[in-house]
Amino acid sequence: MTSILLAQEFKSPTIEYAKVAPLLIVFGVAIVSVIAEAFLPRRFRYPTQVVLSLGSLAAALVVTVGLAGSKLLAAEGAIAIDGFTLFLWGTILVMSIISVLLLAERAVDGGVTAFAAQAAALPGTEAEREAQARRLEQTEVFPLFLFAVGGMLLFPAANDLLTMFVALEVLSLPLYLLCGLARRRRLLSQEAAMKYFLLGAFASAFFLYGMAMLYGFAGTISFSGIAAAIGAKTGVDGLLLAGTALVAVGLLFKIGAAPFHMWTPDVYQGAPTAITAFMAACTKIAAFGALLRLFYVALGAARWDWQPMIWVVAILTLGVGSVLALTQSDIKRMLAYSSIAHAGFLLIGFVGVRDHISANTSAILFYLAAYGFATIGAFAVVTLVRDASGEATHLSRWVGLGKRSPIVASVMALFLLAFAGIPLTSGFMGKWAVFSAAWQGGAWPLVVIGVVASVVAAFFYVRVIVLMFFSEPAAEGPTVAVPSVFTSVAVAVGVAATVVLGLMPEPLLQLAARAAQLVG
Amino acid sequence: MNLYVPILVLLLLGGGFAVVSAVAGSLMGPKRWNRAKVDSYECGIEPTPQPAGGGRFPVKYYITAMLFIIFDIEIIFLFPWAVAFDQMALFGLVEMVLFIVTVFVAYAYVWRRGGLEWD
Amino acid sequence: MTAAVMPLAAGELAAFGKDPWWIILIKAVAITVFLLVFTIFNVWFERRVVARMQHRVGPNVHGKFGLLQSLADGIKLSLKETIKPKGVDTILYVLAPIISAAMAFVAFSVIPLGPEVSIFGHRTPLQLTDLPVGVLFVLAAASLGIYGIVLGGWSSGSTYPLLGGLRSSAQMISYEVAMGLALVAVFLYSGSMSTSEIVGAQAGGSAVDIFGVTLQLPSWYGVVLLPSFLIYMIAMVGETNRAPFDLPEAEGELVAGFMTEYSSMKYLLFFLAEYVNMVTVSALATTMFLGGWRAPWPISLWAGANEGWWPLLWFLGKVLVFLFVFIWLRGTLPRMRYDQFMRLGWKILIPVALVWTVFVATARATLSAGYQRQFFFGIGAVVIVVLLLSFVYDAVAARREKAEEVEREEADQVEFDPFAGGYPVPPMPGQKVPGLEPAAVAVAAASAGAGSADSSGGAGAEGAGQQADSGEERGRG
Repeated sequence: MTSILLAQEFKSPTIEYAKVAPLLIVFGVAIVSVIAEAFLPRRFRYPTQVVLSLGSLAAALVVTVGLAGSKLLAAEGAIAIDGFTLFLWGTILVMSIISVLLLAERAVDGGVTAFAAQAAALPGTEAEREAQARRLEQTEVFPLFLFAVGGMLLFPAANDLLTMFVALEVLSLPLYLLCGLARRRRLLSQEAAMKYFLLGAFASAFFLYGMAMLYGFAGTISFSGIAAAIGAKTGVDGLLLAGTALVAVGLLFKIGAAPFHMWTPDVYQGAPTAITAFMAACTKIAAFGALLRLFYVALGAARWDWQPMIWVVAILTLGVGSVLALTQSDIKRMLAYSSIAHAGFLLIGFVGVRDHISANTSAILFYLAAYGFATIGAFAVVTLVRDASGEATHLSRWVGLGKRSPIVASVMALFLLAFAGIPLTSGFMGKWAVFSAAWQGGAWPLVVIGVVASVVAAFFYVRVIVLMFFSEPAAEGPTVAVPSVFTSVAVAVGVAATVVLGLMPEPLLQLAARAAQLVG
Repeated sequence: MNLYVPILVLLLLGGGFAVVSAVAGSLMGPKRWNRAKVDSYECGIEPTPQPAGGGRFPVKYYITAMLFIIFDIEIIFLFPWAVAFDQMALFGLVEMVLFIVTVFVAYAYVWRRGGLEWD
Repeated sequence: MTAAVMPLAAGELAAFGKDPWWIILIKAVAITVFLLVFTIFNVWFERRVVARMQHRVGPNVHGKFGLLQSLADGIKLSLKETIKPKGVDTILYVLAPIISAAMAFVAFSVIPLGPEVSIFGHRTPLQLTDLPVGVLFVLAAASLGIYGIVLGGWSSGSTYPLLGGLRSSAQMISYEVAMGLALVAVFLYSGSMSTSEIVGAQAGGSAVDIFGVTLQLPSWYGVVLLPSFLIYMIAMVGETNRAPFDLPEAEGELVAGFMTEYSSMKYLLFFLAEYVNMVTVSALATTMFLGGWRAPWPISLWAGANEGWWPLLWFLGKVLVFLFVFIWLRGTLPRMRYDQFMRLGWKILIPVALVWTVFVATARATLSAGYQRQFFFGIGAVVIVVLLLSFVYDAVAARREKAEEVEREEADQVEFDPFAGGYPVPPMPGQKVPGLEPAAVAVAAASAGAGSADSSGGAGAEGAGQQADSGEERGRG
C-alpha cells in the first residue's frame, strides 16, 4: 500500500463543507457534548446537554432548509445532496427534536429522566440502589443520541457502499447502548440491548459481505459505478445477485421487515420508551432512505432481479405485522408489530415501480413523515400512562382510560386511527399515496394484499380504542402523569401533524414530489 | 512475494528449534511421578480450584483491551499518514489533527470517568 | 493492482528478494545461531553486570570469566524432568512456549545488520529480507508473541500463571500503544516503514560551520526526535516485561507469573523468547533511532567505516549499549506497583506521545510550506501549555478527590474493634485505637511507609536472586 501511496501524485480531496454542514453541526456538537459530559459538574450536565442537543438539531434544521434546491455529489462523490436527502434530513431532524423533548422529560418519573441512574451498576445491587437514592442521571444519553442522529443523516445521503456502511454503524452503535439504559425494568432493557446488538451485528456483517460481493462485481463502491457496471456487464450475475440479496438483508433488518423483524417487538418493548419512539420514527426513515438510494440509484438497472425478492418480503412483512399484532397484550409490543406492518406498506410503495421512480419516492417520503409524527406521538402517550412500577404497558391496564383521562385517551385514539389509515388522518393520505403509486407501477396484487392487511390492522387499532372508551376502568388502574412542557409539546406536534396532514396534505405532498429526485 | 520467503524460512528454523527442543526436553529428562509434583503450584497451600473454561476475569481487563483496540487502530491510521506525510502537507496535517483531537476527546472522557484507574 | 505495485516495491527495495536459496538459508541459519549464542552471552552478561552493581563477582567458574555458565545452566535445565501439571489444557500448554520462541526469532528477520557484502562472491545486503512495511512486521510478530504468554498463563489452569498472563497481556498492549506512537515521528521523517530505508534516511546529517571547523551534526533520529526515542525506550522495557516493569513474573507476588507451571525445556523456551525479544527491541531501537549499522561519529570519519563487514560491529556495539541499559535498570530500580505502571503508560506516555507527534507533524508541514519558524514555535508553546495545564488539572482534581475521600472516610469512620471476628487485628488506616492516640498515629504512619519500603526493598532483594539461578528456581520438583 505504501508503494501505491507514494507512486501516485497526491491530490487533496475537496469537501463542500457548506453543503454537508448539517452533518458537521450534529457530529461536532456531539463531540462537544462528550467533553461537557466529561468535565462539567454533575448538576450542570442535564441543562447543558438539553440545550446543546436542541440547539444543534435546530441549527442543523435551519441549515438544511437553507440548502433547499442543492443538487450535487459532495465530498468526492461520497455524499449525495439532493432533494431526497434534504427532505429526509428535514424529517429526521424534526423528529429528533421531538425525541429530544421526550428524552429530556423529567416530570413523569419523579423529577429524573427515564434513563438508568448509573448504567454500569448491576440491576438489583447495592450500587444501583445507592445511585437511585442519590438521584443520579445518565446524561450520556444526549451525546449518544446526537451520534445516532448524525449517522441517520448520513445514511440516506451516502452515495457509496463504504460511506453507507459507516453511517449504518454510526447510527446503530449508539442505539444499541441507548436501548439498554432504561431506569425501570432494567433487565428487560438490557436484554433488549443485547438482542438488538447481536442481531444488528449479524445484519451489519451481512451488509458488509454483500458490499464485498458488489465490489467484486463492479470493481467500485460508488453507486453510479455499480449502476454503470450493471449496464455494461452481462453474464456475471452471480456476484450481483448474491451481493444484492445480502445488502438487502442488512437494510431490511434496520427497517424491521419480515423475516428480519425478530428483534423489533423485544427491543421496542424493552428499550426506554423515548428511545423506542426515536427508533420507530427516525431509524425507519433513515433506513428507507438508504434502501431507496441504494436500490434505485445503484441497482435500479437490475430491478427485475430484486423485485421478486422484495415482493415476497413485502407480503411476509404485511402478514407478520398485522396478524401477530392481533395477539399482543402489551401496548409497546403491539406498536412494534404495527411498525412492522407499516414497513410492509412502505415496501409496497418501494417495490411497485415500473418506469419512473419519482411517484414512488415521493409517496414514500410523505408516508415516512406522516407515520413518524404519529408514532412518536403514540409512544409519548405511552410514557404518560403509569403506575407505581413505571409505565403501565399491559393492555389490561388501559381499560377504561377514556373515562379516567379523556384527553390522553382521545389523543391516543387519534394516533391509532392514523395508523389504521382512517380518512381525514395523515395515515390515510400516506396509504393512499403509496397504494396509488404502486398501482400505477403495476403491483396491483400487492396493493390488494395491502388493503386486506390494512383492514386486519384496523381491527387491532380499533380494539384498543374500544378498550379505552367502552369498558369500565379497573380499580387501582394506572394514573396519567402530568407531563412537563417537553412531552406536551411532543404530543401536541404529533397531533397537529396528524390532523393537518390528514386535512391539508397538499403542501407536503408537493414538497415530496419536488424532492423525489435522486442524483446518481 | 519473494520478499516474504526468507521470513518463512526463518519461521521454520525458529519454530523447528522450539519444537525440537520441547520434544527433546521431554525425552531427555527423567520421569519420576509424584502426586504433589503434578498439582498446580501455589506455594504449598491447597491449590485453588479452577473453574472449567477459565471462569471470569475482572472487567477492567476488558476495558483495557477495548481501549487498546481504539488506540491501536488510531496508530494504524497514523502509520500510512506519516509515511505519505510530505506529499499531503497542510491538508494531511489538518485532517490528522482533527482525527487525533476526536480520539483525544474520547480519551479525556475515559480518563475523567475513571477508566484509566488501576488499584 | 498487484502488477502496479511490484515494480515499485522492487525499485524501493531493489537489493532484496533476489538471493538464491542457499544465501537465504545461510542468512536464516546465521540469524538463528546468532540469536541463540547471543542469548547465552546475554544471560552471562546480565549476571556479571548485576553482580558488579551489587558488589559481587558473579559467575566466574565455568570457562574464561564464567562465560560458559549459562550454557551449563541451559544443558542442566534441558535434562530436568518435564512436568505437566494436572488441569492444564495440553495443546495450548505445549504450544504457548513454541509460539513465544518462534515469534521472537521471526521478528528479527527484517532487522538490517549491515550494508551489502559479498558472501561466496554473491553481493547481498546483510539483512535477511526487508518489506515496505518492515517495522509494522516487527510489531506484528511481537504482538503474536504475546499470545504465547497469554495462552501459557491461561492453559496452565492455575492461579498464579493466570494472573501473570492477564497482567502481561494488559501490560504489553498498554505499552504497545505508546511504542507505536513513538515510531510515528520516525516514519514522518523517513517517509518509509522499511527498516533498511530508515537506516538510509539517517545517513546524511547536516553540517554546520563553527569557527571554521565543519562539524557533522548527528542525523540520528534519537537526537532529532529525542522525545520519541525516550518514549520508545520506556515502552520497550514495558514490552519485554523487564524490570522495573516485570510485573507478570513478579516473584514476590506471583512466583514466576505465567511460567510458574512450566519446567525443563518449555521453561527454557519462554526464557529464550524473553532474551531474544530484548535483543530484537534493542536492534529495532538501534535501527530506528541510532542510525542502525552506520558507524557513530568519530569512527564515521574513517571512509571505510560503512563498508564491508565492519558495520556489523557497530551494530552489535549499539545493541549491547541498549542491553546494558536493560541490565542497568534492573540493577537499580525497584519494581513498580501495578497501578503506577498502568498510570505511567496510559496517562503520561500516550498523551505525551500524541502531542509530540502532532508537534512534529506541524513543525514539518509548516516548515516545508515555508512558514516562519516562529509560527511553529508558537504552536509548540501552545501545545506545551495545554499539556501542562492538563497535568495541573489532573493533579488538582486528584487532590480534590483525595480530600473528598478523606472527608467521606472520616464521615463514616467505624468504631475500631480490636477483636473483630474473634482475633486480635491491627487498626485499618484511618481507624483510631481508643485510648492509644499517639501510638496509633505512629502505627498508621509506619504502615503507610511500609507499603513503599516493601516494594523497593523486596525488588532489590529479588533483583539479586532473580534469574541468578535460572535452574534452581524450579527446585520445588
